[in-house]
Amino acid sequence: MTNPAPPPTSGSSVPADARPAFAHASEAEMARILDFYAVRWVYEPDTFPILWNLDGDVVESFSPDFWLPDLGLYLEMTTLRQRLVRKKNRKLRRLRELYPDVRVKLFYARDFRALMLKYGKLALVDALSGTPGQVVGRRRPALPARVDLATLEVASIDAAAIVAPVDGAPIAVLSVEGGNSLEASPCRPVNRPPTPRRRPTRRPRP
Amino acid sequence: MIRPVDLVADIGEILVPEAHIQAKVAELGARISADYTDRQLTLVSVLKGSLPFMADLMRAITIPVRIDLMEVSSYGGTATESSGLVRILKDLSASIEREDVLIVEDIVDTGLTLNYLIRYLRGKNPATLRICTLLDKPARRLVDIPIDYVGFTIPDQFVVGYGLDYGEVYRNLRFVGVLKPEVYSEPA
Repeated sequence: MTNPAPPPTSGSSVPADARPAFAHASEAEMARILDFYAVRWVYEPDTFPILWNLDGDVVESFSPDFWLPDLGLYLEMTTLRQRLVRKKNRKLRRLRELYPDVRVKLFYARDFRALMLKYGKLALVDALSGTPGQVVGRRRPALPARVDLATLEVASIDAAAIVAPVDGAPIAVLSVEGGNSLEASPCRPVNRPPTPRRRPTRRPRP
Repeated sequence: MIRPVDLVADIGEILVPEAHIQAKVAELGARISADYTDRQLTLVSVLKGSLPFMADLMRAITIPVRIDLMEVSSYGGTATESSGLVRILKDLSASIEREDVLIVEDIVDTGLTLNYLIRYLRGKNPATLRICTLLDKPARRLVDIPIDYVGFTIPDQFVVGYGLDYGEVYRNLRFVGVLKPEVYSEPA
């Protein structure tokens, strides 16, 4: 036996006892896999604006689940319904158009299933995927019927957005994501004279 | 109810027939022999899946080679999972310092295991470290690793045979085949 080189240290940038609150069980499982193979990861570190309204406000963004700094790769897990896969595919296309240097890998339900099959954990797939895998405690609270736009901070709209007046003006864009959360973003009434679109100053990670 | 293993009936499709494997192994052996002429080459096989490929490839290489074997734990495969890290179950038996090393793999899919191995072996200071794999499944790649010698690029299907297993069986098939989904949908 030769002198064994020390194995790489754990790749996780987060101690096991201080894990982030994963939104989905499949993400927690992926974090364990990355840890096992000593691949460093950061959970949801960056948000990329991908759509702006006429005032230049961000109305849609994309926050990949993992950033793998050693690989220069973002990883997005999608084990939910096909409708949401289509939505994520659309978001990913948009992201690649706007940020061509950003590498994102979309891990579909079938990819996750294949990974679990490979590791002999296929029996856990159903519990870790789709709706059963959602972590209830992390759900965002549903918005009240009357929305205080000043307190809203999340800006994300679905393709099937609902435009609803609040006290006449302005208008809030609401969307249902994953069937269990509501997000809203303040925007101007649709008949307001458009102003030049401006890009946000924040740029993605190089 | 435990499903009995049937090496023939459980295979839905032969993806790479035996004759194609042997032809490819001969081709890879010739390439490697030419590339490493007058150099000291060590083939490092990763147990257990690459064993048949290693056995055939080393005999297709026409220059002197040394061989060594490694085995690493797989996520979910052993009780070591609780430790949260890959464990080297079998290390190299000789030094590879300043040697030309060629890792011989059965399949590369996510690249996670290979990425770990490369980092581990680089710590042993080989002169060169390159990769040879019989099968490349790029659809689910997470780690971009340049592979120097590829036998076959295969689609995103669960394959067994020629060293590849499901539940530690099917390794002794002489071809690479696609396992029927009902095999792994039922308790093995």
